[in-house]
Amino acid sequence: MYIIIVGCGRLGSVLSMELSDAGHNIAVIDSDSKRLEALGNGFNGLSVKGIEYDSNVLREAGISRADYLLSLTSDDNLNIMVSLIAKDCFKVPRVIARVNEPSKKSVYELLFIETINPTELISYIIKSKIEGDRK
Amino acid sequence: MKSIIIGGGKVGYNLLKTLKERGYDVTLVERDEDTCRRIADDINTDVICGDGTDIDVLKDAGIKKADIIAAVTGNDEENLVICQIAKKGFNISKSIARINNPKNIATFRALGVDRTVCSTAVIANLIEYEFDRDICKIVQTFDRGTMILVEVQVNENNHWLNSLVKDLNLPGECVLASILRNERVIFPRGDTQILLNDSIHIITNRSTFPEIKKLFHNGGVQYAKQKK
Repeated sequence: MYIIIVGCGRLGSVLSMELSDAGHNIAVIDSDSKRLEALGNGFNGLSVKGIEYDSNVLREAGISRADYLLSLTSDDNLNIMVSLIAKDCFKVPRVIARVNEPSKKSVYELLFIETINPTELISYIIKSKIEGDRK
Repeated sequence: MKSIIIGGGKVGYNLLKTLKERGYDVTLVERDEDTCRRIADDINTDVICGDGTDIDVLKDAGIKKADIIAAVTGNDEENLVICQIAKKGFNISKSIARINNPKNIATFRALGVDRTVCSTAVIANLIEYEFDRDICKIVQTFDRGTMILVEVQVNENNHWLNSLVKDLNLPGECVLASILRNERVIFPRGDTQILLNDSIHIITNRSTFPEIKKLFHNGGVQYAKQKK
């Protein structure tokens, strides 16, 4: 699979390494070159430095042949904009965005963007651990 | 008319002031508390301190009853998201987005945000116009450049000098709209003669503009040299 990961923070970098090790073709985009460098030599995908929603940057990352685009930055508005561009302008088959502010989930839903919500997931896991202990 | 402005920076503040003067019912949404307080002290209007990309904040601002939404923050992502919420969530047809980076104009258009004002491009164009020594320049654009108004200055090197309008070799997609001569407007007909120091206004489109510019290429160069 050809996967573009937007945002090379903690989540983006870990996922890039793992998916790349699993044999997928990965392109990572971030506006901060230091964060891309932090991927190190072990990463054998493509890293592109630039404004995340810039069409030229997305093209350089190979968006026209991407199977997935994952927008994982810590800025919800940025994730929404990148997802809309990927979905509507470049017709990427599957676009998934990360929700940062739980209250923003409704905006993603309104614009038909598929999301993962880390806060919701983590709180669910913690809750079920506590409930599991009580049984 | 109920309108909502998002972003209380220089653009938002001045827009708010103008709309209030015209008697509009305006609500301002701004993220920064200090800025909110300053504006609320200065202008008698509803100021909401909050994130303009939050649906609940926009509901508080009365988006359901709003006729116009102006997203004028300094952040293009934010302005895009606000316009998308207004359009897809509340069916507001009149939402206007400020664009800070001219590179985003095409993206906004592709995503269906059709009313945009790019502050950077507008200022850059105005400055460029002031610097423009060309005898052929764009004075006004309509519908973001689909139609443009071009001004041609007639100097002694211009090969149009003393010709009749009907004899001009013009590209197909343009029309001579008017001639300004000694502060008088002339509406040119075929037998109108072009005289020295006329300024000719031509309506055309962006794709034809280079052709028109080419007509005066040599004249322009000579003119510039002579001025030195």
